[in-house]
Formats: sequence, C-alpha cells, structure tokens
Amino acid sequence: MSAAGHALALQGLTKRYGTFTAVDDVSLKVESGQFLTLLGPSGSGKTTILMCIAGFVAPTAGAVLLDGRDITALPPEKRDFGMVFQGYALFPHMTVAENVAFPLRVRRMGTAERAEKVRAALDLVQLDRFAERRPSQLSGGQQQRVALARALVFDPALLLLDEPLSALDKKLRAELQEELKALHRRVGRTFVNVTHDQEEALSLSDRVAILNHGKLVQEGAPTALYDRPRTRFVADFLGKSNFLHAAVQQGGAEAMQLAIGATPLVQRILPGAPHPAPGTKLLLSLRPEKIALLADGETADNMVEGRIATWSYLGAGFGLSVATQDLGMLRVTLPSWGAPIAPAEGLAIRLGWSASASVPVEEDAA
Amino acid sequence: MEGAHRPGPFASASAWIVAIYLVLPISIVIPVSMTDQRFLSLPQETLSLRHYATVLGSAEWLGSIAQSFWIAVASTLIAVVAGTLCAIGCWRISRRSTDLIRALMLLPIIIPSIVYAIGLYRYFARLDLLDRFAGVAIAHGVTGIPYVVITVSTALAAFDPRLEQAARGMGASLLQTLRWVILPRIAPGIASGAIFAFIHSWDELVIVLFIASRDVFTLPRRIWDGINENLDPAMAAVAVLLVLFTLLLLLLDLALRRRRDAR
Repeated sequence: MSAAGHALALQGLTKRYGTFTAVDDVSLKVESGQFLTLLGPSGSGKTTILMCIAGFVAPTAGAVLLDGRDITALPPEKRDFGMVFQGYALFPHMTVAENVAFPLRVRRMGTAERAEKVRAALDLVQLDRFAERRPSQLSGGQQQRVALARALVFDPALLLLDEPLSALDKKLRAELQEELKALHRRVGRTFVNVTHDQEEALSLSDRVAILNHGKLVQEGAPTALYDRPRTRFVADFLGKSNFLHAAVQQGGAEAMQLAIGATPLVQRILPGAPHPAPGTKLLLSLRPEKIALLADGETADNMVEGRIATWSYLGAGFGLSVATQDLGMLRVTLPSWGAPIAPAEGLAIRLGWSASASVPVEEDAA
Repeated sequence: MEGAHRPGPFASASAWIVAIYLVLPISIVIPVSMTDQRFLSLPQETLSLRHYATVLGSAEWLGSIAQSFWIAVASTLIAVVAGTLCAIGCWRISRRSTDLIRALMLLPIIIPSIVYAIGLYRYFARLDLLDRFAGVAIAHGVTGIPYVVITVSTALAAFDPRLEQAARGMGASLLQTLRWVILPRIAPGIASGAIFAFIHSWDELVIVLFIASRDVFTLPRRIWDGINENLDPAMAAVAVLLVLFTLLLLLLDLALRRRRDAR
C-alpha cells in the first residue's frame, strides 16, 4: 500500500436536530498521515462529527474539506473513505474473504487482482488463515480485524473508526490498541477515531480533539492536553485531577505566590500565559500522580500536611485520599513498589509537589 | 425451553382442546375421501382409493389443478416483487407517511374479500379481464401483497441498518447494496411471504367466483361447484390433496426459518 495520506479539515461544522445542537461550530484540521481522535463523553457530538465526515449525516452549516476540496455535498459512496463501525457491521452472510472483497467487488475489480488484494489485506491483520470462515465463527477481536482489513483493502483516502474497541474486554482492547497503532504506522494513512475512552485516545493518537456538548473544548497532542489542560472539563475527563481554588498573593516573571487559607502555594507561569493581578481567584488542576510523599526533612515548592482518610491498593500503585486542613481532600497516587510507607487510615503524612506540577485551568461555561 | 416450569394440567388440557378443535374438521375429510361408497360418507366396509384414482384420471380435475398452480405462481411473482419493493421503500424512507402506506398495503386482508371481489368485477369488466388467466393472477397477486409486506417488513426490522451504511461507505451504489447486502439478508422473509402468497392464491374462492366463469376454473372453484351439484366423494379426495400440498408448503416455510435461525 502506498503511503499517501490525505488532509482533512472541518470548517465551522454545525449540526442541529430541531432545537438541539449536536455539533456546534467545530473547526479542525488533520494533517496527512495523522491519527486524530475525537474524544468526549456520550452525547458530546463526536459520533455526529464522524458521520458528517463519512457523509451519512448532512451538516446544518459548515464544510468538510479533503485536501482543500469541499466534499460536504458528496454522498458517502463517492467519498472513498474506509470505515470501521461500532460493532463492526460485517456482512453475516459472507465469508471473511467475501467481506474484505466487498469494496473491490463494488468497484468492479478483476477476480485475480481482487484475490491478491484480499490476501494482502488479511495478511496485514494476520487473519489469512480465517478467509473462509463466517464472521459469526470469529472472536470479537478477530471480527474487529476483519473490519479493519475491509476498511483498508481499497486504499481509502481516509480511515474512520467509530469506537472500534468499545465492544472488547479490557485486555484484548489493550492488545488491539497496540496493533492499531502499528497498523497506522505501516499504512501511513490519515485515521480519524472516535472514542469515549481517554486511555485509548492518549495511547493511539497524534492529536486529540476533546468535545463536550457539541463544542470543541481543546485540541492538541496527547501530552500537551494531559499536562496543560485548558479547562476544568479537560483536566477532569482526561485522567484524574484535584482542583484547588487559590487566590493570587503576589505575581512574578516566572512564578506567582498563591494561597489557600493559611497554606502558601507556588505556581509556575507558563511562557505566554497571563500574569494575573494579586487578589485574582485561580482554579488549579493538580494530577494525583504529580504529588509526592515527602520524607522527614525533605522539601518541595509546595508542601502540605494531612492524614490518610481512605486508601486502596491498585496493583501498580496505591490510591490515597488525604484529608488536609486548607486544601480539603487530596487524591494522591503512589507507586506501590518501594513505597516508603504502608498506607493506613489516619496515618499522618507530608505531601509535596513542584511549582510546575499544577496548572491553572478555566472553569467551564455552564 | 430448558429449565422452564412445565405447564399445569389446566393449561395443557385447554391447549389440546384447541389443537383438536383446529385439526378435527381436516382429519374428518381423510376417512371420507377413502370411502367405498358412491356418495359423500364414511367408509362402510373397506377403505378405497378409487376416488383418488377418479380425480387423478380426470382431465377436468387435472386441468383445474394445473390452472390453479400457474395462477398461484404468477400471482406469487406479482405479490413478491411489489410487496418486497414496497416494504424496502417504506423501511428506507421510514416516515409517518410510510407507516400509512404500509397500513394501506394490508387493506386486502382487512377488507372482506367479497367487497374486494365486487369492486374488481366492475373494474375488470371494463378492462376485459373477466374470466382471463391474467385477471385472476393480478387479483390474487394484489391480494397476496400484504403477506409479503408483513414478512419482509419483519425481516427488515431485524436487519442492522449499519450494514447498509457500511456498504454505502465502501462505495456501493443503492442497487449494489440492495442486491448484495439487503436482499440476501431478507431472503428468508421474502420466501416466507412467497409461500403465504402462493397458498392465498391456491385456495382463494370468493374472488374467483366473481371474476371467472368458464375459461378459468380453479381447483377451489371446481370443489365448490362439485359440492353444489353432486356429493361426489372425489371432492374429499381433492380436499385431502389440497391439505397435503398446503402442509408441504408450510413445512418448507418452517425449514427455511429454521435454517435462517441457525445462522
């Protein structure tokens, strides 16, 4: 397969159903060969956006552009996009090979060439031995791979994935995530994926677009989104977060002094970020794993004392809820291997984090 | 059903009574058809198959059987094509107006067939379709449409609409999707509908009484006339043959359903 990806752009995409706005003025760009994930809770409009890209849903306003060409009015069968449906939508009355051959049969490709392409596609997903089986005779993971082969066999301009892994159990999902990622690298095509699973979005994607109530909240590389969420919703939806309401005491060039009650805090100011005036109320997002347990005499930019209220063992780590005087309940995760303490309810501990561990976020518009 | 409670004595007794009530009139015909007498009666001394021989040796009876068969084939064809297209169209468009159309399509089995027959008589006289093979085939075909619409709509209700989306998304035109994805999936429903439409035409009498007289003389019509004119036990033999043939069609339908469910 050639490595020619295509660039996709959405311009002001809007879809209304009566008075309900499913997608609200979404503009996005996917560069050629990129893996973009649309991430959001159910009802956030992510699937509607994918259906607009595929051509099954006509947007109320806005445009879908492929390599700069407006394809908004093009019917789905003329778009040449591969699609993996939720639940796979394999044809139950056809064998695996017939399923994969379907897009080629539609294009009236010769039998010999068709067989060759089908074999190559099944090879790609390691299912060559199952060509004559029916979909119902395959496991969920195998069916998913057939759907992938079928979506890729005709060298589509774009591969669209609608919650491709949601029907699988956790372990299989992790395996197929790896495979999907490797497949993307091998075929070098532009992938657009829809999911509500934040781990899947982080591990698979070059770029993630986070949606809520039909609006694009934030878009960027997974690390940027995770470490610098713009709003409370993003921080909360992508991973876990503590939220601290702090007041600015004194500004600075690279860091500012904050306080919550009697507890002083230091917050680094990211380059280009605003410098709030003293007295401004700030909302900080602080990830549980960026908080460390401080040994006696050890110091950090920010320090707080507390008692363990509840704790749970998670295998790789401990999840602690620590009650503090001024900051309320803090969620903290510690690696369990080599943990300096044995967690117990009521145990007094000291916590610390650096000035760059937390990040100011905006409160979401209601 | 495995593990389910067994029905109580009252439930099973009433089930058997209903079953016997349904089957008894049919089973009475069987001994009558094997009577050794010359009139419609139960066998007196021995069982005899001579009335079957009479039927199968009579050009009139055989002619009527052939005529009924070909009319049923032609009307089934009309009902299947029209009914399937209607059901698929309603399913695809799926608005309130299509619900209305689907209900309209069921009219022939809701309206008393005698009312239908009177209306047909008036129209067919003008179109010169009275007492014609084509006339009866069309009449039976139209009244057979509801059976096809019902069975195909049921099959479509179980059809995953994402399969159609998947086909369209992979570049299939509407016709290709219909031929390669939708029709193979609903084929068992179409077959069921075809069998019912066939049976409907095969034993239809009321309409035939109105729109056919001499040239078209179907099997039910000949039985009807036979009962009216003489009480020949041959009628019972024909009735048994009719029941057997219908039973065969129903078993075929059952086998088709079982095969589909096994998938």
